[in-house]
Amino acid sequence: MANLNIDSVKDRTFDAIVIGSGMSGGWAAKELTDKGLKTLILERGRDVKHIKDYPTTNMYPWEFEHRGELPVAIKEANPIVNRCYAFGEDAAHFFVKDNDHPYVQEKPFDWIRGYQVGGKSLLWARQTQRWSEFDFEGPARDGFAVDWPIRYKDIAPWYSYVEKFAGISGNMDGLAELPDGEFLPAFPLNAVETYFSNHVKSKYSNRHVISARCAHLSKPNQIHLDQGRVQCQERILCQRGCPFGGYFSANASTIPWALKSGHATLRPFSVVQEIIYDEKKGKASGVRIIDTNTKEAIEYYADIIFVNAAALNTNLVLLNSTSHRFPNGLGNDSGVLGKYVAFHNYSAHIGAEYDGEKEWTTDGRNPAGGGYIPRFRNVYKQETNFLRGYASGFSAYRYQQRPWDGVGAGLKDNLVKDNLSGWKVGSHMMGETIPKETNYVALDKTLKDQWGIPQLKISVDYDDNDEKMKKDYVEQLTEMFTSAGFTNIKASTDNRAPGLDIHEMGGARMGNDPKTSVLNKWNQMHAVKNVFVTDGACMTSTSCQNPSLTYMAFTARAADYAVSEMKKGNI
Amino acid sequence: MHRRTVIKNLALVIGGAVLLPACHRTEGKAFVALKNVDISADQEKLVSDIAETIIPKTATPGAKDLNLHLFVFKMLDDCYKKEDQQAFVTGMGQFADVVKNKYDKPFSDLSQKQREEMLLSIENDKDEKSTINSKELKSFYGIIKSQTVNGYVTSKYFMTKQVVYELVPGRYNARFPYKQKQSA
Repeated sequence: MANLNIDSVKDRTFDAIVIGSGMSGGWAAKELTDKGLKTLILERGRDVKHIKDYPTTNMYPWEFEHRGELPVAIKEANPIVNRCYAFGEDAAHFFVKDNDHPYVQEKPFDWIRGYQVGGKSLLWARQTQRWSEFDFEGPARDGFAVDWPIRYKDIAPWYSYVEKFAGISGNMDGLAELPDGEFLPAFPLNAVETYFSNHVKSKYSNRHVISARCAHLSKPNQIHLDQGRVQCQERILCQRGCPFGGYFSANASTIPWALKSGHATLRPFSVVQEIIYDEKKGKASGVRIIDTNTKEAIEYYADIIFVNAAALNTNLVLLNSTSHRFPNGLGNDSGVLGKYVAFHNYSAHIGAEYDGEKEWTTDGRNPAGGGYIPRFRNVYKQETNFLRGYASGFSAYRYQQRPWDGVGAGLKDNLVKDNLSGWKVGSHMMGETIPKETNYVALDKTLKDQWGIPQLKISVDYDDNDEKMKKDYVEQLTEMFTSAGFTNIKASTDNRAPGLDIHEMGGARMGNDPKTSVLNKWNQMHAVKNVFVTDGACMTSTSCQNPSLTYMAFTARAADYAVSEMKKGNI
Repeated sequence: MHRRTVIKNLALVIGGAVLLPACHRTEGKAFVALKNVDISADQEKLVSDIAETIIPKTATPGAKDLNLHLFVFKMLDDCYKKEDQQAFVTGMGQFADVVKNKYDKPFSDLSQKQREEMLLSIENDKDEKSTINSKELKSFYGIIKSQTVNGYVTSKYFMTKQVVYELVPGRYNARFPYKQKQSA
């Protein structure tokens, strides 16, 4: 028996363990296996193999039983995830259902999750912008959160590194507030988006409307073909999983790449209960999982552990990893673990019409979705009564009007008439929220999930800064729209709960000072040198750019550092 | 209608998916099998006639050819709340009564012109407090109208023959010339 046990331990020992297989976990797996480390990838959900497990990807609209709409019973049983725009008949199978994985909302929070290999990288809206110097300097300059332990120059080469592999479309726009990257050709702005871009440029010195930058292969390079991915086919059915690998997902890119190396073992159905801390060695020795099929607890061991469970679940795993040394959660000497959670504010929109450019329309579909207005508030100096700022989406479109009035042959004729609408324009805000100690997650003391792991209690809310920023967005965009000659301008704000932006960040933030942060400048735990956190949990502040590209860059950088430290014998 | 034809047409409408009719048809029992709403054969025929009035067979297929009433029932059964389903059933009974009072014969015996007149009298009654058409009657008609048209414009027939839906466009032309055709 003893021998068997030894063999079993050997079988369960790896060089590295990666917890999570999504946006950042996929990168950790790829980087570690590229460097020859025998790596175990743990995923709590089921496996989703590229192409094979995209059941709706090639379905025509009429092939859906309810033509895309979800039955009312499913909607009513899932009030939280049902608020997500992509939760439809074509992609519902990639979302966590409310009842399967409950959590405690101390304040309303719409926690949108994808528990499967690839995680939410199958569901993201694929907008990819670098953060700028203004974002990494922000907390120090504006006096909130703690100082980022890095600056733009530290991460810039890693942005380049991941952009080349993932494939990002964009223009070289030359803006300090939105650094350029390694771009594939951008998806161009249409006639009215171009008109608005020119108008804004002529009227405002520091405002810009550019082509949205997105993770689509507009023109693949060899490295993308090597991954088995081909050019984006402009289907705009991305949330179903793309058989072309036209956009970046862990399923199409990093995970198969890692598996191809021969160094990776992918283990789905593995909920991580805790990271095991070895008090004698003073470092983490492995991970205890619960197999979701057998409910069996199994331990795996490794020299390096990457935690990429998605921001809030990473917090949960760390908080639940307690020992004599760390009674309040792994690496939590500072007491800030789970605190300073922040997110993005998407709660304002504006729409209008434009009477010009009627000789133009579009043909085909734009995967980038249109234009992007980088943050223009408080960039070079503080100029408003709120901290930080917002980016905005901007797009213009025409649609085929099919009047449904009346009945009979006349109605049939109207439904097929070429009756294109004039141009409609729309925008939504993407605001930075300020990390605060009062916005936190914690383990519920009594409620557990079906694997016996404590449920996460989420206590996150907007504040006055968000209200002021929202008001400013409405005012500024209304002014810009009016100035451009748009008509019938309608701005609206909503009272959505945080979470629906799906950009939750923080809880295990990076910082220079171990007394006020969990991770150092290498995403390495101050107190546990062989544990790295490179998903949204690591974020010190939130910027207003989309965060995924930054998670990828952090992950590649941290993996490189981890392996070099391991080779030096420091880990 | 032959059973095989029905099943074939149904497959056309639903796209080969899931919905299977109750094939053991008995007298007075509706052909369509629903989970939440109880529909008789007469009611099924009424909805089918109304759908055909909304989207009639012309030079191109109509609602019956495309089995749109089955789509209406499918959506009613799965995608509407209980209160809407109840209003539908109540309104359906009222509809038959109104037709009887107005024309002294059932809807199926009306001419196409009378049928259209009947439907338009409900559709054009925009007064929410109207005493002529009850709330349930309007709900009933509203559901049939919207789902018949929805089923029509998202049917394989419409999306391949009347307009062309592209699953894989493979292009994005951001600046494409457009000249609206003069209406006939």
